[in-house]
Amino acid sequence: MSTKRIDLPQGTLDLLILKTLALGPQHGWAVSERIQQISSEVLRIQQGSLYPALHRLERRGWIKAKWGTSENNRRAKYYELTKSGRKQLEAEETAWRKLIAAVGHVLETA
Amino acid sequence: MLSDLLYRLRAFFRRKSMEAELDEELRAHLERQVEKYIQSGLPREEAARRARLDFGGLEQVKEECRDARGVNLVETLIQDVRYGLRMLAKNPGFTAVAVLTLALGIGANTAIFTLVDAVMLKSLPVANPQELYRVGNGDNCCMIGEFQGNWGIYSYSLYQQFRDHTPEFSQMAAFQAGLGDLSVRRGGASQLAEAYVGEFVSGNYFTMFGVSASAGRLIAPTDDRPGAPPVAVMSYRAWQQHFGLDRSVIGATFIINTMPFTVAGIAPPGFFGDTLRSDPPDFWLSLSTEPALNGQNSVLNHAGLHWLCIIGRLKPGAQPASVQSELTAELQHWQGAQPDLTAHNRSELGKQHLVLVPGGGGVARLQADSATGLRLLMAISGLVLLIACATVANLMLARGAARRAETAIRTALGAPRRRLIRQMFTESILLAVLGGAAGLIVAWSGARAILEIAFRGAGYVPISPNPSLPVLGFAFAVSLVTGIVFGVAPAWVASRCDPAEALRGAGRSTHDRSSLPRKSLVVFQVALSEVLLIGAGLLTQTLRNLENQKFGFETQGRVIARVDPALAGYKPDQLYALYQQLRQRLTQIPGVLGAAYSLYSPMRGTNWDDYIHVEGRPSDERDDASFDRVSPHYFETIGTRLWRGRVITEEDTPTSPQVAVINQTFARKYLPNQDPIGKHFGFLKPSEFEIVGVVEDAKYQDARGPAYPTFFLPFLQKAKDPKLFWLESSQYMGDIELRVAGRPEDLNAEVRRTLADIDPNLTILDMKSLSEQVAQNFNQDRLVARLTELFGALALILACVGLYGVTAYTVARRTNEIGIRMALGADRKSVLALVLRGALGLIVLGLAIGIPAALAGGRVLASLLYGVKGWDPLTLGLGAVALAICALVAAFVPARRGTKVDPIIALRYE
Repeated sequence: MSTKRIDLPQGTLDLLILKTLALGPQHGWAVSERIQQISSEVLRIQQGSLYPALHRLERRGWIKAKWGTSENNRRAKYYELTKSGRKQLEAEETAWRKLIAAVGHVLETA
Repeated sequence: MLSDLLYRLRAFFRRKSMEAELDEELRAHLERQVEKYIQSGLPREEAARRARLDFGGLEQVKEECRDARGVNLVETLIQDVRYGLRMLAKNPGFTAVAVLTLALGIGANTAIFTLVDAVMLKSLPVANPQELYRVGNGDNCCMIGEFQGNWGIYSYSLYQQFRDHTPEFSQMAAFQAGLGDLSVRRGGASQLAEAYVGEFVSGNYFTMFGVSASAGRLIAPTDDRPGAPPVAVMSYRAWQQHFGLDRSVIGATFIINTMPFTVAGIAPPGFFGDTLRSDPPDFWLSLSTEPALNGQNSVLNHAGLHWLCIIGRLKPGAQPASVQSELTAELQHWQGAQPDLTAHNRSELGKQHLVLVPGGGGVARLQADSATGLRLLMAISGLVLLIACATVANLMLARGAARRAETAIRTALGAPRRRLIRQMFTESILLAVLGGAAGLIVAWSGARAILEIAFRGAGYVPISPNPSLPVLGFAFAVSLVTGIVFGVAPAWVASRCDPAEALRGAGRSTHDRSSLPRKSLVVFQVALSEVLLIGAGLLTQTLRNLENQKFGFETQGRVIARVDPALAGYKPDQLYALYQQLRQRLTQIPGVLGAAYSLYSPMRGTNWDDYIHVEGRPSDERDDASFDRVSPHYFETIGTRLWRGRVITEEDTPTSPQVAVINQTFARKYLPNQDPIGKHFGFLKPSEFEIVGVVEDAKYQDARGPAYPTFFLPFLQKAKDPKLFWLESSQYMGDIELRVAGRPEDLNAEVRRTLADIDPNLTILDMKSLSEQVAQNFNQDRLVARLTELFGALALILACVGLYGVTAYTVARRTNEIGIRMALGADRKSVLALVLRGALGLIVLGLAIGIPAALAGGRVLASLLYGVKGWDPLTLGLGAVALAICALVAAFVPARRGTKVDPIIALRYE
């Protein structure tokens, strides 16, 4: 199983977090679970590395955090996309798609 | 940007609660992950292990989160500083030595910079000094009748020309280039007149500088008109020191050189006039009072006598370059229109020019005089600081080696390399700042001492040793840079620490990363010390050569009293009566073996010089000579020997034939290969004076060069040609010379009393021994020599400390090895030789670098040296030997300790 996993390219973790939060406010563990599930466990993310990224995004003002109560009545820190975060997500998504298209094109034709 | 800052600030100030939140957040994550694994059927233990593995290092994640929040920078800085302070406090010996070393290094630099700041960088304490410009930068002083080429001083008439025809200046003021002595007493008071310093200034002087009175009013243009009531402005310092800030001084009448003046007001505190110099003016008088005050010697209305400096305030937008060419054109035009222009001068007219220089610092005479010395001192103090840096870097490396285990543990626990380096730098900068703070004390007392040496003989110097804001900034900047410089090596070594190796080796390994940088530092110290020591040797010899040279007169047992009968109101025809009784009265004082008087005494800083014509020599416009007027017994009183003919005697009266005594250089230059006795020469015609004697060459002005061709005239023999009117003021004696037995100081009161007996107005302006008068010519040489000696000694000590440290450290590291050697039969001597060989290698290498560097330094010094060459082999050799001996002794002490090691203990030693 581990042979199939690939490391996350530099800088894409932010994009994945923003995309995940676009669905609605989430706490850290849920974000990590979600990314693992959706990516079908292909991407290998050290769970710990999620938190510095979350704090960095919060500092940039793309997400904001507040404490709430989770489904099983536990205190949890919820992260939520801000307006500028939504714009940033769009911009990064577009850039990513362009990158993939370009790389793909090179791989197919060259 | 702003939100980011707010976030960081909030993060910083709420860091306790944020830390708790972070804890909670991460714990919650781990709990959830454990639950997930338990639900999937794993036992709790295994679930917790897997969850931790998934998560990664908890502490590292926290650290990264803190970094991501941006709070870390400030926080770790505070942590590092706290930790650094703790480490320094734990090691008081190390801290004390390091701080002391740095304090000396930084203090020396700050002291020199205090001087540089005051002399070179500071502006005059006046309004908008950047608008001020000085007309001409020539350093001529104090009165000159000829073309100057590059002009610096002007006659009153020329000043008026400039003032009235240069509209680019909003104000243009003139003032005396050289200050004058004043004899002043308060009107109606019965006490004797006292000596003060005065300066004639134009009426707009204070307006031009934009200063206002601290009491009363200042001189105004209305005061500077012929016939205006004479007023004077007193300096705040004179008001404070001599009159206790007494307000009744303002408006009071003062008798200045027997003429009544009203003190209109007091200049602002701190205002010292137009030129930074020792003993600045106590009184400012308007130019219009000069004719009345100086009587027949007045120069105000002589268009051809130049004695005034000019500073003006340029209007906004005026171009200095174009104003300069305009002024040069005015200068040439004005000269060309003078009625007495000689043919020679007419041909030289095109070469006459002036430059407009920034005048915010005033007349930059002191700046020009001390630039070389200050530059040299800055270079030397910079070297000392480098050596201090090397010493402290070495100490830190030694300590770093002792802290290897600590560093290793920190690295093993996951401290990033960056963090370790930052910690080391924090500690070194901390040390440097502590050293800098202590250095301010060194700087303050150092600057005071320097001022004392640099201005020996001055009553007052308007330079404060207290650190100003730029000086504080300088000290802080130097501390920071110093901290970084000496922190580099220790930080590098600490960052290369391999935890596994360090923990395993724990002091047993002979391999040591810090030993190469430490040894290089010692070599560097030895080399720099060698440069300083040799420099100190050369400069000390220079000073000795200057002070002990053959001057052509005796410096011991001679006293000079400065007087000016003109200040006491003597008219030229009253001088005869004064001179008649002067010598006789003075020689009656017990302890006085001989007395004489002259226009000026040797090495006083005065020189009278003019063109001459010599009998039997083709007329040459470049023939000139210095001259002095001397009384009977003058030469025997100052100890100048007579070579041929006779000296000036009582028989040389106003009515007897006009005679002159010449010196050897005069005879050699103007009357070579013939008997000069009986020959004639003169200022305008070759027939004015008959030569009656030749005396030994004596230095009167320039101690480094040969004596000038000089002739000596008796007093009161008057020039017949009206063109020589200016010679009239040379009839006034300026100095009294006394040959005394015993201490010169003891005579002070008696001489003053005798003069007051002759005339109560005859003030002694200054009195000192001739040796002191000579010594004051070498103030700058002395300052440079003394400071270089001090710095050289300091460098030597620091180099020895460095070598001691390295050797002690080597011995400590090699205790094991030494133990094995001794156990295997090596005797103490061979062990000692082993250790000393290492130290000797460093010394030799240091000298090998230092001696060529010192030779290069000697070339730089060449212009400052006198009587010794920059490559003087004796100095080079002595410097090297002295350094080698001191260094070897420093290495010997720890080396010997190494040999006392008991092999059994040594082998167990860790």
